Amino acid sequence: MPGEMRPDWWGKASAGAVLGLGLALSLVGLYAYLGPGGINAPGGRYSLMRHLEAIIWIAVFGFCFLFRSGRAAWTWLGAANLIAFAALFACRFYFFA
Amino acid sequence: MIRADIVKLYKAVHSWIGISCGFALFIAFYAGALTMFQEPIARWASPPAVGVAAVPLDDALRLLELVAAAHPEAREEGITLHLWGHENEPARVTWLEDAPYQEGQAHEHVHWWATLKLDGTLLAKQQEPSELAEFINAIHMRAGIPGSWGSYFMGVVSLLYGVALIAGVIVLLPSLAKDFLALRVGKSLKRMWLDAHNVVGVTALPFHIAMAITATSLSFTGPLWSVQESVVFGGKQAILMAGDDELFESPKPIGEAGAMMAPSQLLQKLKMQAPDYEPRVMIFRNFGDRAAVVRVAGAERGYVGDSHLGSVMLSAVTGELLKDGTRPSRQDPDRRASETFYGLHTGQYDGATIRWAYFFLGLSGAWLFYSGNLLWIETRRRKARKGGEVEQSRSTRLLGSATVGVCLGCVAGISLTIVAAKWLHGRVADLNAWHAYIYYAVFLGSVAWAFAWGVARSAVHLLWLCAAATMAIPLTTLTALLPPALGMWAHGSAATIGVDVVAFIGALCLAWMAISTARRVKLGPADSIWSIRKPENRTEVRESVAIAAE
Repeated sequence: MPGEMRPDWWGKASAGAVLGLGLALSLVGLYAYLGPGGINAPGGRYSLMRHLEAIIWIAVFGFCFLFRSGRAAWTWLGAANLIAFAALFACRFYFFA
Repeated sequence: MIRADIVKLYKAVHSWIGISCGFALFIAFYAGALTMFQEPIARWASPPAVGVAAVPLDDALRLLELVAAAHPEAREEGITLHLWGHENEPARVTWLEDAPYQEGQAHEHVHWWATLKLDGTLLAKQQEPSELAEFINAIHMRAGIPGSWGSYFMGVVSLLYGVALIAGVIVLLPSLAKDFLALRVGKSLKRMWLDAHNVVGVTALPFHIAMAITATSLSFTGPLWSVQESVVFGGKQAILMAGDDELFESPKPIGEAGAMMAPSQLLQKLKMQAPDYEPRVMIFRNFGDRAAVVRVAGAERGYVGDSHLGSVMLSAVTGELLKDGTRPSRQDPDRRASETFYGLHTGQYDGATIRWAYFFLGLSGAWLFYSGNLLWIETRRRKARKGGEVEQSRSTRLLGSATVGVCLGCVAGISLTIVAAKWLHGRVADLNAWHAYIYYAVFLGSVAWAFAWGVARSAVHLLWLCAAATMAIPLTTLTALLPPALGMWAHGSAATIGVDVVAFIGALCLAWMAISTARRVKLGPADSIWSIRKPENRTEVRESVAIAAE
């Protein structure tokens, strides 16, 4: 059932702004560890990451109004953040420490 | 099919972001369009100088030797040898010197140039170049808000602009087939503006997507990098940075004198070792030392971002290739991707064609924000009108005044500050500071004027001001050609005449806008903010009724 859509401006927008940035940092951070050459690869990766972060941030922020409510946005995006940051910190402190 | 409630939600997202960020985006797009011609504008604004041609390339070695002897501190900082002969290159050789500064204060530089006198001796002078083009770029990057806060502000605006793009596409998708390329002229003025807004927005969508992403990342570079360091790298970035810096660092001087190779010979060596590379300037480090190097900055055609970052380092003694890791064809895949993002933002690919395309796309973007605000205001009017004409609400009038004052203030301010480059040269001590004074005075004055006179009247006044200020650009160049001599100049190169021609055409467009706005102010619907007539209490069956609101 496609439940009713609630506007929840501030709930959804804050989830998009805050958790969108979190997701951007953690996913692009995973690319820094797992991408070709790994974390010590010299070159332009450091400079490239900001652009990739902007793409994810904008996409999450832009589509977060599709969530049914502000609470749903915070729950789903929060869970995604938890998983992505867990993976990132596993790379940083365990696998590539 | 996208559900109606989703479309409604995103319509609100699109409108509110447009209304709140439209001003800043207008400034960024208008000034950004001009930065496509940053080089021609810098050449237009540069006073007549000795020039590069005064010292033939074959005599350049002697000039470098004299500079290195008379100004030893320049050897470490780097002595730049110019190759193009454009008006913004004051002489064959230039360099920077540390300005006297207090401990703990920001580090400033002063600019020097040098040439050979007829008797073959050195003539060196400290002279500050025009920073007009850089000033326009600063307005573009930070919407006129000084310092880091301007960058952060534009970062937030760019992020929201990306969200508004997604929202706009979602709103338009259900009716795309019906609405796209359907420019319904005449049926209703609002419909026509909306159709035009959609056509311009959709056709330029790839450009706007690239701009939203890169404007966000470029504005937030500092914060993103520091949070990357603490969250992702945790100190591990040191290796990356060191590897990166290594590509640019010149070797330490060894303290033994060495015989320098002549610049023309060095260029031949470069041509042999990097045939596709187009040199722009040669920067000599540690000139005279056996470990002296020359870093040649230039472009490598056929890549996006073809003239950014790239350089090739040769030994200044043997001409041997020392470092070649930064030009497009030598960049690692991540750097190439990063530079592609940068080049897509700055239009650095395919030369003049793309620069002109970006110029018009930038202007069309500025128009999108202007037309978007207008649409929103007109829609509010329609909602408020129940049968009879109504007085505009206070907030709508204020928004209209702000739109007119900010947008037209930016246009007039930039034009007048360009004009000042010639009129004030030699008449004020610090011309580069005056560029800022003039821009901000005109900008803030225009905003105040728009609030004082209301949107309808002030729009006509300010459009005429914009037209006059822009027409003053070619007129100033013409004045310079006529007696009496006012200490101004008229360069003859195609690029600088191009600045005058584009300004002339732009001024005519602004004058046309002023005339048609003046007509609408007198004859248009009285309850529009674009009218100076008082609304009468009667029902109007005009354009607007034909359209069901939104």
